[in-house]
Amino acid sequence: MTHSLHRRGDRESLKEDFVVLGCPATGINKKGSAPKTREFLRICWKHGPVNLGDMKTGNTYNTTIDDILDRVTDGTIVQCTFDSREKVVSLLKELKEKKPGISVIVSGVTDIVQGIMDEAGLGRIHTIEYSMGTWGKTERMPDFAVLKITTMCGHAMIANDLVGKLLRDIKRGRTTPEEASHEIAKCCTCGNFNLTRGTQLLREMLPLYMVNRY
Amino acid sequence: MRVDEDKCIACKRCFPYCPLGRIQVLRRHPKIPGRVYIEIDQDKCTDCGMCFRANVCPVDALYQPAEPWPREVRAILSNPLIEYKGSQVPGRGTEEMKTNDVTGRFLPGEVGIGIELGRPGVATYFRDVEVVAMALAPLGYEMAEENPVTHFMSDRKTGKLRDDILDERATSAIIEGKCKLENLPEVLETIKKAAEKVDTVFSVEIISKVPPKGEIPIIPILERLGYEYSINSKNNMGLGEPVFKFDE
Repeated sequence: MTHSLHRRGDRESLKEDFVVLGCPATGINKKGSAPKTREFLRICWKHGPVNLGDMKTGNTYNTTIDDILDRVTDGTIVQCTFDSREKVVSLLKELKEKKPGISVIVSGVTDIVQGIMDEAGLGRIHTIEYSMGTWGKTERMPDFAVLKITTMCGHAMIANDLVGKLLRDIKRGRTTPEEASHEIAKCCTCGNFNLTRGTQLLREMLPLYMVNRY
Repeated sequence: MRVDEDKCIACKRCFPYCPLGRIQVLRRHPKIPGRVYIEIDQDKCTDCGMCFRANVCPVDALYQPAEPWPREVRAILSNPLIEYKGSQVPGRGTEEMKTNDVTGRFLPGEVGIGIELGRPGVATYFRDVEVVAMALAPLGYEMAEENPVTHFMSDRKTGKLRDDILDERATSAIIEGKCKLENLPEVLETIKKAAEKVDTVFSVEIISKVPPKGEIPIIPILERLGYEYSINSKNNMGLGEPVFKFDE
């Protein structure tokens, strides 16, 4: 499960885009992990994530934080998305001090994440996973600008056509980039969609795209 | 995913929410004069449930019936709300490196490699998943035991999948496993050749334990062989407990 890994974009676009995951380990610390996961979520929530969720329950744009906390069980994997380096630094400092007991994973630009860990006093990255890009019939993929938005949901639940429809709606004055970003966030149940980045990307696409479908 | 033809009014509000694009057609209702309804191409639909969850249908015409095997496999790998009991992890894959600080799944000298077919947003038939799995199997690539695709194999030594799922389709399906560091060039070369044989796309990921000091061992290999890797990555913070003692 690598749904926060293959986000597309250049350094400028990704530099303030972080997904923090809390994950218990099957057969080791999964049994009895629900209170630890709830505590992890509460700590994350204090530091102002732009999105937060659990795959099976939903995110803060289609349910409430209380509902997400209530439905955490042993084995639940939770995700919190941040739009600021400073927030992740303060979060990791608190996690280092309070030790949630479950594994913590941060997705982001590698050297920025290492810098955050250094600042939080966590030392070197423990284990790393890189994306080696997309291989095969790549001509079937949508435009890179669309991919920058849709790949924020690793389960591919953000439809390419939805991005097109929302761009058209923004151009027609039916919605705003912020509202469109909110609509997209509802599709990504895990809470991995970064609304701040999404809004910015939609704004960047507006003058470049002629939308003629739907 | 199906549409109740007696309820559907063909308003097309569900169209833009389908992650696989235009897989719907308009049909004339056989009994109600003038009524048009939407029919979803059942071969292309992966039962991900996104159109249903979008909650945009004004007449509640969308529904997901309980599908028998082998079609059941589509929702297992495509609908993120469904947990595959074999992996005990919600989603399409495993815990992989996320819990490596406590499991020691990836040791120094080992490389985790995942190949997620159909991603991003193109989808894949299992016959293409089999092409890649069978190419990797002879190379000492150890398939992850708890991964759903591994469970769907009829022969794990050869990577052969069950015949009854080959024509089924998923939004994406991940082959996960690991190999020795010295086998990495051969494994990557094999994946590159397999990319020419499949009728879809796949995203490739690579995992390494980071040593306390010095270079990450996969980096010089990737750079020497000319493979690109992302500026962004997924990083285990080493905060899990109890800590796995690595011999390094």
